[in-house]
Amino acid sequence: MMKSLGLALVLGGALATSALAQDYPVRDIDLVVPFAPGGAVDVTSRLIAEAANGFLDGAEVVVSNRAGGGGVVGQSFVANAEPDGYTLLAMTSSVVTNPQLKGAPYEVADFTPVAAYNLDPEVIAVPADSRFATIEDFINAAREAPLTMTIAGIGTSHHMAGLALTSTAKAQFTYVPAKGFGEQLQAVIGGHADGAFWPMGEAMSHAKSGTVRILAVASDMRDANFPDVPTFEEAGLGIPIWATFRGWAVPAGTPEPVVAFLSELMEKIAKDETYQKKMADGGFDATYRNADDFQKIITSYAEQASVIIKENNLSE
Amino acid sequence: MDQILLGFTQLLQPTVLSMVMLGVLAGLIVGSIPGINDNIAFAVFIPFSFSLPADQALALMVGVYCAAAAGGAIPAIMLKVPGTASALITTIDGNAMARKGQAGRALSIAMTSSVVGGLLSSLVLLVCAPALAEVALRFGYVENAALTILGLSSVVGLLSGNILKGIISAALGLLVATIGYSQVTGFPRYTFGSVNLIEGIPFVPMLVGLFGVAAAFDLLRDIVDERSRGGASASLPVIGSMKLDSGLIRRLLPVWGTSSAIGNFIGVLPGAGMLMAIYLAYDQAGRRFRRRFAGRDDEAAWGEGAPEGIAAPEAANNAVTASSMVPLLSLGIPGNSTSALFIGAMALHGLVPGPLLFAQHGDIAWMIIVAFLVCNIVMWPMAFLVIRVVSRTIFSIPKSVMVGIILLLCVLGAYSDGNNQFNVWVALGAGIVAFAMNLSGIPLGPAILGLVLGAQMEASISNSLAISQGNWLVFVDPVGHPIAAAMMALSAIMWIAPALGALRRRRADRTGSGQPARVSDT
Repeated sequence: MMKSLGLALVLGGALATSALAQDYPVRDIDLVVPFAPGGAVDVTSRLIAEAANGFLDGAEVVVSNRAGGGGVVGQSFVANAEPDGYTLLAMTSSVVTNPQLKGAPYEVADFTPVAAYNLDPEVIAVPADSRFATIEDFINAAREAPLTMTIAGIGTSHHMAGLALTSTAKAQFTYVPAKGFGEQLQAVIGGHADGAFWPMGEAMSHAKSGTVRILAVASDMRDANFPDVPTFEEAGLGIPIWATFRGWAVPAGTPEPVVAFLSELMEKIAKDETYQKKMADGGFDATYRNADDFQKIITSYAEQASVIIKENNLSE
Repeated sequence: MDQILLGFTQLLQPTVLSMVMLGVLAGLIVGSIPGINDNIAFAVFIPFSFSLPADQALALMVGVYCAAAAGGAIPAIMLKVPGTASALITTIDGNAMARKGQAGRALSIAMTSSVVGGLLSSLVLLVCAPALAEVALRFGYVENAALTILGLSSVVGLLSGNILKGIISAALGLLVATIGYSQVTGFPRYTFGSVNLIEGIPFVPMLVGLFGVAAAFDLLRDIVDERSRGGASASLPVIGSMKLDSGLIRRLLPVWGTSSAIGNFIGVLPGAGMLMAIYLAYDQAGRRFRRRFAGRDDEAAWGEGAPEGIAAPEAANNAVTASSMVPLLSLGIPGNSTSALFIGAMALHGLVPGPLLFAQHGDIAWMIIVAFLVCNIVMWPMAFLVIRVVSRTIFSIPKSVMVGIILLLCVLGAYSDGNNQFNVWVALGAGIVAFAMNLSGIPLGPAILGLVLGAQMEASISNSLAISQGNWLVFVDPVGHPIAAAMMALSAIMWIAPALGALRRRRADRTGSGQPARVSDT
C-alpha cells in the first residue's frame, strides 16, 4: 500500500513537473549578457540562442546586452529580476568574486546555476622564442627571481592563478595588468613580458599559429590539441584544476521544474552538431555540466578564490 | 599577388560589392548623425550580422567603419557638432570656414582629405601589413608610455589664446580619467559605491554628451538670443562652391602626406587610438601653417578657418581606419575599440583573426584588405551625394526643431551603448559641463585628450616601472628603449620650441629691431 502510494506520489510529481514545464516557456526568454556585443560571452551566448531556438516552440531565447561596471550592472539586473525563468544570466566566474572585489550589490547565493556550457582552463603561455623550453625551466626561473606576467587585470581569476602558484609552487611573479586581450597578446608576442596567464580559449589559436607556446594547462587532463603540454598537476604545481567557466544562471527562487527545463535545453544544445562546430571554429570548447555539477564548480572556485583574496588583501 | 586577386574576386561578387556600398552609405549617414557613431552602429549591427554570410557581413562593417570617420565631418562643419569623436577637431576650422560662407569649400576639403587619408592607409595595409606588424610588436610598455606623453604634448598645439585655461582643461580631463577601477591597484576610485562607475564614466555616452548635448544647448542659446533681440533667426551657413582649386590642392598635399603618415603610424600601434592621431596631425599642420601662411592678408588665422585645420584631422582619422587592421589581421591584436568589434563579428562566423586566418580563410582575409581600398574609392562620389542631401535636410529644419532632434539622438545613442539608463544621465551631465566650459571660455579639446590618454598613461607608466624595478630612467634609455627615448625628446621639443620662439620674439621686440611683438603663438 505504502509502496503504491509512494509510486503514485512520484508519478504525480513527475506529471506535475511536466505539466509545469509544458507551461514554460510561453513567451521569449531574455538571456542577459552583462557585456557589450562582440566579446567572448556575447558571441557564445548568440551561438547558444541560435541553437536553442531550434528546440523551442512558440518562444525564443533573446540575447540582451546590459553592459557596464565590468559586468556588475547586468549581473545585478538579473539578481533582482523576477525568478520566473524568463530572465537568464550568462554567468561567468566574475560573479563569484565581484561582491568581494568590486563591492557588487549581490551575492553568489542570489543566483541558481542552471548549466555550464564552456570551461576554460588556465594556461601558462610564453613567446614562441622564449628562453623557457619547458614548465620546469619556467618555474625554476620564477623561484629564483620574479618573472613578468601579463594578466587581464588585478583580481581576475588569471591574477589569482598566479597568486595560487606562489603559494603552491613558491614561484614569484611581477604582474602587468592590461586592458583587454589584445594588449596582453602584444606584450607576449613582442617579448615585453616573460609570459601570461590566459584562458585556453584565448591562447589556442595563437599557439596553433606558432606565435606563442603553451607550457602547462590547469586541467585534469591534457588538451587534445596540445598532447605534449603537461597539466599543472603533472608538472608538480599542486593545482588540480583552475578554470574560468561560462554558463546560465537564474535568479534564486526560480521554480525547480523551470531550472530543470533550461538545464535539459542546454544539454540538447550541447549535443547539437552545428552548434559544436560553430563553437569549435570560434575557439571555444563546447562542454556541458548540469545544474548540480555547475554548482560544485562554482562552490570550489568560490572557496579557492576567497582564500587567495583574503591572503593577498585584494578585497575592497 | 594571387592572393590579392583572390580578395578582389571575393569582393567583386555583386552581393558583397553591394554590401560594401551599403556600408559606405550607412557609415556616412551614421557618421553625420550626432550622438550615433560607428561603435554604436556596430553594437546594433553585430546581432543582425548573424544572418548574413561572413563575407557580406564583414564587407558591410568595413564600409561603415571607413565612412563613419568621414561622415562625422559634415555636421562638424555645418553645425559645429561633430558627428563622431573623430571629427571633433574638424569643428574648429571647419565651422569657422563655413560661417564665412565657404561651407562647400570646407566640406570638400574634409571629404577629399578623408579619401586621400583612407586610400593611403589602404595601400599601406595592402602592401606592407606584415612588416608594419613587426614594428607594432616592438612597442612595449615603455614605448607606449612615451607615446602617451607625446600624444599629451600635442596639447601645446591647442593652447592658442589663454594658456592657463587650456591647461585647466587638460588637467580636468586627466582627473576625470582617474574615476573607476584602477588598472594598477585593482581598487575602485571615486566611484562612491556606484557600480556604474566601476569602469569609469562610460566613455561613449560622455563623448555624446560633450559634443552632441552641449551643441544642442548652444543652439538653444542662439535661439534665445535671437528672440530677445527680436530679429529673424540667423540662417545656417550657405554651402557655396564645392570646387577645390589646384593651388589649394597643391598646398594641402604635404599636409595630407604628414597627416596620413601620422594616422598610419598611430593606427598600426595597438591601443593608441584614433583621437591621438588627429591631435598629433592637427598639431603638426598648425606648426606648418604658422611657419608658412600665418599673417598673410587674405589668410584666415589658425583656428578660424585655415584649410590645413580641416585637412589634417580628416586625413589622419581615415588613415587610422585601414592601418588599425594591420595588427588585427596579421597578429589578432585589435588596434582600437572599433576594430576590436571586428573580432566579435568574425568569431560569430567562426573566424579568428591572426596568422591562421590567412592560412585557413585567405579569401576572407584578403577580401577585408581589398575592401578598404574599394570603400575609399566609392566613398568619394557617395560622400558628395550625402553632403548634398544631408546639408539640404539640415537647411530645411528650423533651429528649434534641430535642438530636439539632436537631443533625442544623443539620448538614444547614449542609451544604446550598453542599454543602460545611467548612460543617459552621463550624456546630459557631460553636456551641461561642456556648455559651462564653453561659456567660461575653457576649450574642450585638451580635456578630451586628457580623458583619452589619462588611464592609458597611468597604466603604461606603472607597467614600465614594474618591468624596470622602479627605475624611472627607463623612459630616457637610448640603448634599451631607443624608440621611447626619441619620443620623449620629441615631446620635450614640442613644449620647449614655442616657448623659445616667444622668448626670441620678445627679445627682438625689446631691441627694437623686429616687428611689433605678436601674442605668443604657443
